Amino acid sequence: MSGPMSAGDGFQGLELRHLSRRVGSHTLVDQLSLTVAPGEILALLGPSGCGKSSTLRLIAGLDPASSGEIQLGGRNITALPPAERQVAMVFQSYALFPHLSVERNLSLGMELRGMGRAEIQRDLNQVLALMELEGLRQRKPAELSGGQRQRVALARALIRRPALFLLDEPMSNLDAQLRDNLRAELRTLLRSTGVPVVYVTHDQHEAMGLADRIAVLREGRLQQLGTAERLYRDPANRFVARFLGSPTINLIERGTTQLGLRPEVLELTDAGSPVPHGWEALEGQLSHREWLGDRVISHVQCAEQGTLRVLSREAPTSSALQVRWRQADALRFDARSGERLPGSNTPHTD
Amino acid sequence: MARLMLLLWSLGPMLWQLYSSLRSSEALSGLGAGGWTFENYRQLLQGDPPFLTYLINSVVVGASSTALTLALAVPCAYALSRLGRRQARALTALVAAAAAFPAVLLFLALLELARDWHLANQLLALSLPYAGLCLPLAILLLQAAFADIPIELEEAALIEGMGLWQRLRWILLPLMAPAMASSALLVFLFSWNEYPIALTWLSRTELLTLAPAMARIAGSSVYTIPYGAFAAATVLGSAPLILLMLLFQRQIISGLTQGAIKG
Repeated sequence: MSGPMSAGDGFQGLELRHLSRRVGSHTLVDQLSLTVAPGEILALLGPSGCGKSSTLRLIAGLDPASSGEIQLGGRNITALPPAERQVAMVFQSYALFPHLSVERNLSLGMELRGMGRAEIQRDLNQVLALMELEGLRQRKPAELSGGQRQRVALARALIRRPALFLLDEPMSNLDAQLRDNLRAELRTLLRSTGVPVVYVTHDQHEAMGLADRIAVLREGRLQQLGTAERLYRDPANRFVARFLGSPTINLIERGTTQLGLRPEVLELTDAGSPVPHGWEALEGQLSHREWLGDRVISHVQCAEQGTLRVLSREAPTSSALQVRWRQADALRFDARSGERLPGSNTPHTD
Repeated sequence: MARLMLLLWSLGPMLWQLYSSLRSSEALSGLGAGGWTFENYRQLLQGDPPFLTYLINSVVVGASSTALTLALAVPCAYALSRLGRRQARALTALVAAAAAFPAVLLFLALLELARDWHLANQLLALSLPYAGLCLPLAILLLQAAFADIPIELEEAALIEGMGLWQRLRWILLPLMAPAMASSALLVFLFSWNEYPIALTWLSRTELLTLAPAMARIAGSSVYTIPYGAFAAATVLGSAPLILLMLLFQRQIISGLTQGAIKG
């Protein structure tokens, strides 16, 4: 796997070692080990209930770990209270203090920590300018738009000069258009802090667009950790393969194995065409098409295999079709466990 | 039209009292043609002790009862709202049972307490039973308000490095202002209107609170009912409450709209 893996005791980033959290008989986080280098953005990706938010809360110190260790900057912070961890967290709801102005939302923590007035003003001006919030200093959170609230929440985290940045679905309260626009901006901002960033999301586009590496979680266990490209092209198991990619991967039963076929590796030709050497094919009927402008998603009904999604540039002309693919392009999974089987397509290097 | 009816319904009796308090007793009993007068007020305020003493006594007892109740109820409510669900539910049921307990049954026990602990004729000591009786309801009200504050707000404060006291002082209590105002008002009203305990715990005239003092005015003579003086006492006795309502009202309303913030 790529990334800085040789995390000795002098490692300056964040390192989780066999971190677990159990509540009663539930295991929310199970033996999670990973590292995040300074300046790196790691996305924790998974469906709801996969343990990504629990992991974030463990790192922040809001919940106690059942076992395992959290290291930050070479220091064991597993047992430290949140205040002493020097972490900043942006909550999904932003958790702005509703009774305080933007300015006071940012400065309250510093005031209570006994920082000097001049110093507070300097930091405040700097961060407000950076986040383009100067005009909103005296506003209450209720008087801000969703995007502005998010900027205030980010500003409140930035002003602490944290050693670690944690974000819990910070985009989920914004509309889709704004989310697309903010992704690059947020990435630049987070990279500029130079500290490790852990970003929790259930949205694969967000994870792919923002993060340097993605950790896919399922039921508290790490499924795979790597770059977006690696996860997409070389998934460790069926879960990862299905979670990444849109439209989702096609799965075809082959006895005890399952073939995973990305919609873009499938080709459409007229039914009954001869199948070239090294290719496989299924015959089917076109059920409907989704026109995306530059591409078309064709839904092809194949007898025993259900509907296959095929991504192509040109819309198919007839309704009786042959779907075919290069055998080397198919991913192979164990039908029962979902584990990736060797001997399928040659792993790409990245 | 409906609003006018409502206003008449709630303000009418008060205006009638105000009117009565400003008429001479002859005019009120229909015997003479006496006109408008401040005589009733003069009588009250220059009595021995002056009526103002009772008002001050009631304010003192009301304020100390309210302060004591809130000082105890806020930590209890906070703890209850942060406990595990099962424990909190059991304890809340207990508190609710206490709130539903008929206070009348405690009357004799309270009297004995007052005797044994020498609490009789101690004005501030009245806040002990008052706070005790108001505490369950105040805890329930405040607990609901604590539960309404998103937990992330406190967690954000925690990450900012705020201690428990700082979180309460700067984050939670300001957001609780409406709930605290309404609980305070309830406690104050209770102690303002409370009669039997005040009657039995206090015997010295200059220590009386409003309720027993007014009972004395009403029962001051067997032969004539001092309508005018009684009305004046009612007006003076309710004026501070109305003032309090008006003051708190703004806070309650502003607090209610503040609660609408989400996300």
